[in-house]
Amino acid sequence: MSFLESFGGGALALLGAALAAALACVGSAKGTGIAGEAGAGLVSEEPGKSGKALILQVIPGTQGLYGFVIFFVAFSKVSGLIGSLTVQQGLQILSACLPIGIGGLLSAIAQGKVAAASINILAKKPDDWTKGMIMCVIVEFYAILCLLASFLMLGAIAL
Amino acid sequence: MAILKMKRLRLMIARSQKDELLRALIRLGCVQFSEPEDELLSVESLRRAESDTLSLKSDHAVLLRAVELLGKYAPEKKGMLSAPEEVDGETLLDSAGLSEALTLAGEIIAADERIRRIGSEESRERAVIESLVPWLNLDLPLDVDGTERSSVMLGSVPAKIPLDKLREALESVTEESELFEVSADKKASYVMIVCAKEFLGEIQEALRAFDFTAQSFAGLSSSAKQCTAQCNAALERLAREKAACEASIVEKAARRDELKLAADRLENSLAMSEAADLALSTEDVAVMQGWVPAEKEAALEDVLSRYDCAWECEDPPEEDYPEVPVSLKNNKLTNALNMVTEMYSLPAYGTVDPNPLMAPFFILFFGLMMADIGYGLIMIAAAIVAMKKLKPRGSSLAFCQLLLYGGIATAAMGVLTGSFFSDVLYRLVHLINPDSTWPGLWHLFSPETDSNLVLYGSLVLGMLHLNTGMVVSAVQKVKNGDKAGALFEEGSLWIILVGGLLLATDMLLVKNSALHYAGLAVLAVGVVMLLFGAGRNAKGFGKVTAAFGCIYNTATGWFGDVLSYSRIMALMLAGGVVGKVFNTVAVMPAESSGVNVLTMLVFVIIFVLGHAINFALNILGCYVHDLRLQCLEFFGKFYSDGGKPFRPLKFGGKYVRAKET
Repeated sequence: MSFLESFGGGALALLGAALAAALACVGSAKGTGIAGEAGAGLVSEEPGKSGKALILQVIPGTQGLYGFVIFFVAFSKVSGLIGSLTVQQGLQILSACLPIGIGGLLSAIAQGKVAAASINILAKKPDDWTKGMIMCVIVEFYAILCLLASFLMLGAIAL
Repeated sequence: MAILKMKRLRLMIARSQKDELLRALIRLGCVQFSEPEDELLSVESLRRAESDTLSLKSDHAVLLRAVELLGKYAPEKKGMLSAPEEVDGETLLDSAGLSEALTLAGEIIAADERIRRIGSEESRERAVIESLVPWLNLDLPLDVDGTERSSVMLGSVPAKIPLDKLREALESVTEESELFEVSADKKASYVMIVCAKEFLGEIQEALRAFDFTAQSFAGLSSSAKQCTAQCNAALERLAREKAACEASIVEKAARRDELKLAADRLENSLAMSEAADLALSTEDVAVMQGWVPAEKEAALEDVLSRYDCAWECEDPPEEDYPEVPVSLKNNKLTNALNMVTEMYSLPAYGTVDPNPLMAPFFILFFGLMMADIGYGLIMIAAAIVAMKKLKPRGSSLAFCQLLLYGGIATAAMGVLTGSFFSDVLYRLVHLINPDSTWPGLWHLFSPETDSNLVLYGSLVLGMLHLNTGMVVSAVQKVKNGDKAGALFEEGSLWIILVGGLLLATDMLLVKNSALHYAGLAVLAVGVVMLLFGAGRNAKGFGKVTAAFGCIYNTATGWFGDVLSYSRIMALMLAGGVVGKVFNTVAVMPAESSGVNVLTMLVFVIIFVLGHAINFALNILGCYVHDLRLQCLEFFGKFYSDGGKPFRPLKFGGKYVRAKET
């Protein structure tokens, strides 16, 4: 405990906010990267499909957005109180930030793979590409649940 | 509001009148031809007539390709929102100008092919120019190979090899050799070696140790400079030819509409030809079979009476139901759900049309999940504009209707949750007047503060939805004479539900022990009925496993199904939260440095971009999750799918469409 106290609660809370934004954004970067590679391959053959390929590419980008939302909520909750937070409060904020951090990181990568596979649909069966989009949105739901878990927990923390 | 009743059509017609009849039927647009029945196929004298479907198909593909190429070289200037041109049916059946259109299309395709060949010729010329660059200083014909007594070799050695060493090595072979450096770049030195003819073999041997690569310029009989000039001249000529080809295509763009009309005419000829392929004929008579909606029988009779034909319509027997094509007849409200039903799978013939049952739930759930006045208004506006401008038909009309009803529900639910682009009004009011005590828009409930209420509400709606499905299933079972099935499967679940409700009332509300025992008793009756129902068709030990399987499936299945409706609350909350954060970020600069033009500009940019993202994500997410609730949870209770869509012979076309009569 005294080990943690040497850092202070504020640092722990900031660590939580940082993890929410950073992990989810890394996930989105990887996810959009995976989908973008596949999209670039398709666009090099058929430039006319770049708009749809772009839509599929940005779908795994939302986790980063959710991570930022939680970062923002957590940060606005503690800003001004950073020096005075107890270790318990800091740990509470840190815990509340974990769902979107971890869930965002992994779900964005998984979604990126589905998006890359959906770009295959766009290449071979252009009429059915929206079905690929729907498959991507199924993965999205779990990122939304993580967002809500973090958001509800943050709402319940009294400072 | 139901699945259209179909009749099987059997038709015999004088062969000479067949084409005329098909033209009349495509105008009527309500007969789907099908493969003849087996007993007809086995009649020796009935044969398939010769068909020109294949040649029509390839002509059609040529026309489509030509229109596509025109679009590539001379893009059409046309607003995004414009309805396809309408022509009358006679224009679509006319085949005048087809051969001219095909010639034109052939010319366009040939010009495009020439352009592509020119592209590869150009890159070949460029490659030659590239390979000549190191030799531009050499003033000798490139195919020089020596004189009477001497040999000449052109080639390169890697740049890391000092040429002096190479020179020494060559001189050690023979004095009668000479090495000239022509040029050098980072990778290699380009050299010319002259030697006495009799030493050529030894010199080559010596060169091998230095990684010498000989270069031959077959066919280039002049110096590198002259060859480069020739290549450049060729490139210019090719560029001119390419421009001429492109211009010839662009010039043909004036006749684009002619090509489009011809393509659509051929598409209709193709449809008639494919229908004709299904007929069996003797010398004089053609026999055809198909399906016609019962309500169109009179109209069909009217058409057929004008031809020399014999025909009958009969109701299909139940064993033929799997073959009967399915068409859903819907009113304006339920038509919107056609999109959902068709995307999943049409109902089997002889079962229920799910659209009227699904419509209220689908639209309500969608509204609950989006729940924002602003987003709802955008959807309504988009739907109305699209319907006015595009005059959609078929599935695009269903999409627009769905957008409209979804928008209305979204706006209505937005009123209940007090959400207009999340909380932008609250933010703005408090920005302008920081002392304002306005609490934001009126709301009946808010997903953020009453999240438990919203969650339970979602689950209750889910129960209602699932029970609607079960009522349909029970009614169907009773209709089909399976009263016991309805009683033991749906009935016992309802009894369990009543028991559960009694227990819940006892525990949560009144704490009455009589109610407690009554609840337990009802529950027990329900479980026993369920067990008995599960075991009633099994024998011996199978009864036990069937009963346990049933308990497990019912418990986990129902539990999972009901909990799945929590997504309604999750999506409602998520959309609001994300929107709220965008609003907060958007007003931040104005809050910290005052309301001025710059901060308001920042506000508008963040607000528009943020809500555009949130809107797009939400509309897609809500549609998909609503779809899932309908197709997985709701349909799972009663739906039997597998209907084949009814595709009558009617006017079609990619670019123009027939006027509706």
